[in-house]
Amino acid sequence: MSEVLLSQEVIVYLLSESLLFGLLFVAFIITPLLIKRWNFDAFTQEQFRLENRSYLVMSIVFFVMALKILLLPYFVYTIDQLSDIVPGAMCGAGIIKANGYGNPLLLLKIIILFLSGFWMTLNRLDLEAKAYPYTKRKLWFFLFIFMLLSIEFALDILYFTHIQTTNPVTCCSVIFGQMGGSNALGLDMPMLLLLFYLLFVLIVLMLWSKNSLGIIVTSLLFLFVAYYSVVYFFGTYIYELPTHKCPFCMLQQEYYFIGYLVWGLLLVGVFMSLDYAISRWLWKRDALRLRNFALWALSLFVLLCSLFVVVYYSKNGVLL
Amino acid sequence: MIEIENINKIFNENSSEPFEALKDITLHIAKNEAIILSGVSGSGKSTLLSLIASLDKPSSGKIVVDGELISKLPDLHASAYRAKSIGFIFQHFNLLEALSVEENIIAPLIPSRLDMPTIKKHAQESMQKAGIAHKASQTIRELSGGEKQRCAIARALVTDPKLIICDEPTANLDKANSLKFIEILSTLKALGKTIIVATHDPIFDTLPFKSRVIKMEDGRIVDE
Amino acid sequence: MHNNAFFHFLSLLLFKQKNKHIGAIFISVIIIFLLSSVLFISSSLQKSLQSMLKNQPDFTISRLQAGRAVDTPTEWIEKIVQIDGVSAVTPRVYGRYFFAPNENSFLIVGVDFFDEQSNHSLQELMETTDLKSFFAMPSMLVGEGVQKFMTAHYYKDEFSFKLPNGSFKKVAIAQQLPSSTNLIANDMIVMPLELAKEIFAMEEESITDIALNVPNDAEWDTIVGKLHLLFYDAQVIDKREISKAYKSLYNYKGGLFLILYLITIITFMLILYQRYSMVYSAEKKEIGILRAIGWSIQDILKLKFYETLVIVISSFILGVVLAYIFVFIFDAPLLQEIFLGGENLANSVVFVPTIEFGILGSLFLFFALPFFASVLIPVWKIAVTPPKEAML
Repeated sequence: MSEVLLSQEVIVYLLSESLLFGLLFVAFIITPLLIKRWNFDAFTQEQFRLENRSYLVMSIVFFVMALKILLLPYFVYTIDQLSDIVPGAMCGAGIIKANGYGNPLLLLKIIILFLSGFWMTLNRLDLEAKAYPYTKRKLWFFLFIFMLLSIEFALDILYFTHIQTTNPVTCCSVIFGQMGGSNALGLDMPMLLLLFYLLFVLIVLMLWSKNSLGIIVTSLLFLFVAYYSVVYFFGTYIYELPTHKCPFCMLQQEYYFIGYLVWGLLLVGVFMSLDYAISRWLWKRDALRLRNFALWALSLFVLLCSLFVVVYYSKNGVLL
Repeated sequence: MIEIENINKIFNENSSEPFEALKDITLHIAKNEAIILSGVSGSGKSTLLSLIASLDKPSSGKIVVDGELISKLPDLHASAYRAKSIGFIFQHFNLLEALSVEENIIAPLIPSRLDMPTIKKHAQESMQKAGIAHKASQTIRELSGGEKQRCAIARALVTDPKLIICDEPTANLDKANSLKFIEILSTLKALGKTIIVATHDPIFDTLPFKSRVIKMEDGRIVDE
Repeated sequence: MHNNAFFHFLSLLLFKQKNKHIGAIFISVIIIFLLSSVLFISSSLQKSLQSMLKNQPDFTISRLQAGRAVDTPTEWIEKIVQIDGVSAVTPRVYGRYFFAPNENSFLIVGVDFFDEQSNHSLQELMETTDLKSFFAMPSMLVGEGVQKFMTAHYYKDEFSFKLPNGSFKKVAIAQQLPSSTNLIANDMIVMPLELAKEIFAMEEESITDIALNVPNDAEWDTIVGKLHLLFYDAQVIDKREISKAYKSLYNYKGGLFLILYLITIITFMLILYQRYSMVYSAEKKEIGILRAIGWSIQDILKLKFYETLVIVISSFILGVVLAYIFVFIFDAPLLQEIFLGGENLANSVVFVPTIEFGILGSLFLFFALPFFASVLIPVWKIAVTPPKEAML
């Protein structure tokens, strides 16, 4: 049996994903009937049963989503552990690239988490209103997310069963290039940084002025640019090596797991601003607390990144 | 304060023997009124009470309490309504046997956003009003019928509800405790609360406060 | 925050209804205990192996013929010494000596005691041995398992090896290898090179393999290449591969257990589901009352969720603590044998306490998730109890 499959973390991870998928499947089975028969105005026993069933779907989604938030860092941890038994890999980056399923899987996971978050917000609004105004939409949305979840589950299995311990994989230094100046976006460093800080200011402005569409566009752009900025610039100050460009290595113990904070703040911040914007735009709700959280998270993220550079400079007197 | 219009309640509607518990009930109850629902068992009194308290939903018709349509509330709102506006005193007390008197009384306040010290304060006040403060830490199992009744009253009062609903409150009490109960009811009426009692105990025929008797039979109101 | 009112109420309920939960806690603690013992042992062994591996030579090179390892010519040593970046090139002779056909065997390792040892622990050991008396007559250093075996067979201070030509060679037991090396040296005998050769009746110019160190990590791959160029029929094993092999070894054994536990967990889940569904009828009244006095479905779900969480966390902590004591204080009496596989000579190891949070995290996930998953539906069923139930 493949050593990868027998590694403890992979077993625990796949087991967890299977269980969660099982629960989701239960929710999936009861949803179509819910959608079809839901009629809030009816006084029938059936409607009351449906309301209860709706709570089951809610509970399952809530539970699964909460656990998927935990499973994402655990997935990253699992991959990191695998770098010990797959030749050539020094961190998760190599393992992710071990086959074609890795990157789509990771990306899909993040997308699903975001979508589930939006679902939770919609659910909360649905419950707080007096006549369950969003129930059908909410359930259709769930069906869509379930479809994505099924793909994710399939990718999980495909990914882990296709990691070979015999073929060496490339390490992050090869994947992310060893050149100093340029990066995949084709921009040089100063431009990238300018874009980074500019977008951040833009997001703050958009959030402040509550411009929903503006928030969505700038947040997504920021996510994109921030990823490249962290990997190609700020990361090098974490590793204190101008050629070490890798999104995964900073998640390891030797860097005090700071990567979790960096990526965590970014993802949470972007998620919250998107959630806020969508709530305003689609559901006409102004959730100020959400907006403030988003501002805090994003600001902390930018501060943290900048801090790496500042600390390095003050310690060494030069930049990389 | 309470508008009940054309309420029907049918049990087991999908089975071969549906049972019509309430038939076309229309009723208006003013604020600070005391209503006595009288009638034999099976006349629909308890069912009507549970509809007013939002413990169950009618098959058709509507119930409006203080301008709010409570017959069709989603669960989150229905339970908030129950917690804030209703103090229900059940026939069999319905206390949590494993807990103490005080613990039973704080139970309705737990989902609220209050902190423990405030909750305990409310509970204390409630217990004083019901006359059960001296038994605060005793387990329910150790109480007598009358004491359990008073604990149930304290619990019903702890959220300071505007509506007090009692289902056969004196059915399991002796005469002395029944009279004590009526005393507490008058205090509550004096405090401005609206009171609805479903009973067939004749002790309610002569009350120390103003009340309206509504007779029910076979799911309908036959006399007001 | 109002949550503390929740927890207050929850703890009341839990304390006053302890008996309801005893069953689930009991089974949980046992499962956690067994699981974490296995994981503790596994990771402890891994750590010990890895640290011992540090003291092993970086490379060993031997000759292959027809795909089988055969004796290596000593002339290879001169060529290897000339490669830049190589140090501590040591010839080694080793093989298995069978006490009697198909019975227990010892791993005899012959070394040149006057050379710099690529094996650091051996180096240290030799610095403490009285070399004069060691060489006065044929002597050897034996592992703990060997010592025990010999004492059991009445060989106290010396042992007679039976040579392939039928004659006997008496060898004195000078010292016992430290117990900390038991993991790999339990059945090992270390003796001078020539003596080992004698016992195995090897050719004059032959050795089993050559050990060497390459201090600079970056040069490892280059050295491997050079070695293969020098000797077309060589097999080069480097420490990294052994490390990976060790990791896989204990992963495999650990993985095997985990598969067993998968089965256990499934059974566990079924039991939990059953149990929580059963209590449903008894709890119905209680939850109905709570709903009647104003608790929403969400509040009940929250209550039940936290109740489950408390049970999960407390059984987890209890199970882990018990396992810790079992493995690291009592050295895991029965479980140890399963892991060390005492097929040859009985081995005994003291486990070095290692706690890795990754391991504990994995364990928690492995246990908590199935627990919650199996009670989710029963809990929902309870939470949606219509408050009317309270009227009955």
